[in-house]
Amino acid sequence: MLPFHVFPGGCQPMSNASEPSSIKVLLVDDEPAIRRALRATLNELGFSTTEASRGEEALQVAQTNTFDVVLLDINMPGIGGMKTLLRLRALAPSVPILMLTVRDDEEDKIQALEGGADDYITKPFSLRECVARIRSAVRRARTPERAEDAPLSIGEIQVLPARRLVSKSGQPVHLTRKEYDILYYLMTHAGRAVTYGKLLTAVWGSEYHKELDYLRTFVRQLRKKIEDDPSNPKYLLTDAYVGYRFAENPFASDATLEPSSLRRTE
Amino acid sequence: MNGYRRRSRIIIIHANAALVSNSGCRNHVLRETNAAQCHSLPESIYANGGHGYAMSNPSKTEGTEAQLHSLETRMLCAFIHEATQFNPHGHPGAQLADLARRIFQVEAAAIFDADLHEVYRSGEWFDDVKEVLQNICLFGTATDDRETGLIRRVLQMGKLPIGAMLLRGETSVIVANSIASIIAITFDRYHAFANESRTENARQAEQLRTTVLDSLAHAYKTPLTVIEAASSGLAAMGGLTPTQAGLVSLVDEQAKQLSQLTSRLLTTARLEASDLIPKIEAVAIAPLIDDVMASLREQLSGFSVRVVLPNDDVALCCDRSLLVALLTQYLDNAGKYADFGTTIMIQVVEESNAIVFSVRSIGSTIPAGDYERIFDRYYRSSASASIAAGTGVGLSIAKRAAQAHGGNVWVASDAKEGTTFYASLPRLPRGLPAHE
Repeated sequence: MLPFHVFPGGCQPMSNASEPSSIKVLLVDDEPAIRRALRATLNELGFSTTEASRGEEALQVAQTNTFDVVLLDINMPGIGGMKTLLRLRALAPSVPILMLTVRDDEEDKIQALEGGADDYITKPFSLRECVARIRSAVRRARTPERAEDAPLSIGEIQVLPARRLVSKSGQPVHLTRKEYDILYYLMTHAGRAVTYGKLLTAVWGSEYHKELDYLRTFVRQLRKKIEDDPSNPKYLLTDAYVGYRFAENPFASDATLEPSSLRRTE
Repeated sequence: MNGYRRRSRIIIIHANAALVSNSGCRNHVLRETNAAQCHSLPESIYANGGHGYAMSNPSKTEGTEAQLHSLETRMLCAFIHEATQFNPHGHPGAQLADLARRIFQVEAAAIFDADLHEVYRSGEWFDDVKEVLQNICLFGTATDDRETGLIRRVLQMGKLPIGAMLLRGETSVIVANSIASIIAITFDRYHAFANESRTENARQAEQLRTTVLDSLAHAYKTPLTVIEAASSGLAAMGGLTPTQAGLVSLVDEQAKQLSQLTSRLLTTARLEASDLIPKIEAVAIAPLIDDVMASLREQLSGFSVRVVLPNDDVALCCDRSLLVALLTQYLDNAGKYADFGTTIMIQVVEESNAIVFSVRSIGSTIPAGDYERIFDRYYRSSASASIAAGTGVGLSIAKRAAQAHGGNVWVASDAKEGTTFYASLPRLPRGLPAHE
């Protein structure tokens, strides 16, 4: 027997030909080799791709074409990823934009998220993860706007916003007002990284933008109430150095659905 | 002349104390002597007319005793003066031998540097002069042989013999002693300079290495990203046979390892940069530990991690990213060497002027002999080498991060208590303003 270990989840195809109405991806990266690797895989999996090597080029292409999702490198010559992000947002307010960032630049990630990016993918990335992120971003974008007090349900957690009621596996969970606000905000943004600053602003107001200790205390309480093992959370995950992320599918066996920042080794 | 103009006070005092007291020229030869006057020694000092030295006839035999002393003093002064003008980066042995022969008008001079095991000679010498000099140094023979005209001296720094001197000719005992002392001091100065420049060279080499590492690591990043994307892309497409999948996963795994290594080298290169200045800000410790743990979720998945804090609000003025690097290394290390399923304990203790972080794990221990060296770059404890893959870089990052704050790191390890890595960071790093 060969001493190889097999991928978690085996190597069954991640997709079949029935990619819902072929997702159109705009691929913006100044490294041709990275575009090539992404293009090959994405095309094979049924995505259609358009490439741009600069932010300027991407904006030009976006003038005349529509896309389901944009993969945007943050470090590029020219106007760079951040400016491109802001201009793309103005051009296409609802298209999901996923930033390609580097490992150690947490500041960049936070800026991108607060500048309107939907998520970030840390280089070097696995394509399984990248594809999973693209699909989840597109799915969210295609999901019709939910009514503000429509019930929410993720894993064993149910929320009835109209009555501010939370239950886990049918058992009521008693939350304080702020705990509920945090949970509600994170669940309505499930699958996305929410920066500490964004969450603080949403729940407490912008003057609390930097009160990290505050937030942390409430999150700890919240975890005690909704997690089976608060020190090893399944729902309310920490996105290291960036913020929190509510798991979209907490019982997914495929670890690659989690952001790479949770698996980094630095 | 190389611009080295410092005159050693020690030499002056030494020479004066030994020689000048009877000479009548107390005020003072050395100060008056300059390079120009010494140019054609010994004649120029004999001819020195402007400073009240009356000696016009340099002959040793005709002078009075006082004149003789005065002559000897001036010879020694000239010797000292010229010796201090040598290029401190070149070995002074050969020059000193020539100089001694010329100034003191001996037939031949030979000097032995015990450190380099080298003989420097001037004039005619017998073949086994090196052996003779070695013996002088070894046995401490300091005798004058009137018959053969051989003057033997040990060169000493303090009580330590550092060489030997052999003159053939005529000098007084006291002059011979002084010559030996001056040679010893000159040798010592040379070796001090040599050490200093060795250290400087090593520092420069290290700096260069760091720069090269940094640019290499940067250059590696994109290709590694592409390799990972391509191999994971192949796997994501599916349809591979188990053998193909195995090979793809091997590529993937190794590319990951290489990129981790690259990042680590980058971190070290940054820390090693000579201009590392910590960016001090108030850092809340509890959320920082949360972040570090979250970033190491995979490595710590087989363990339970306990965090013990003095209180929830504990904070420290420090460089956030350096503290992250430090704790990440400690925790990553614990994840590598702890026994599966055990508890890793992170503890923060407040002391009066420092905060001590510690990470304790139960598993492989570190031999006491390695407690210090384990923090050195590229050192890997023999006990660790067989257990986990590593580069020996990680803990040096922790050490450097602590040192940048004026703090320090240490480790304690035994089979019963487990292995605990400590880092103590001062509450206000020394020399750094509080308001930054």
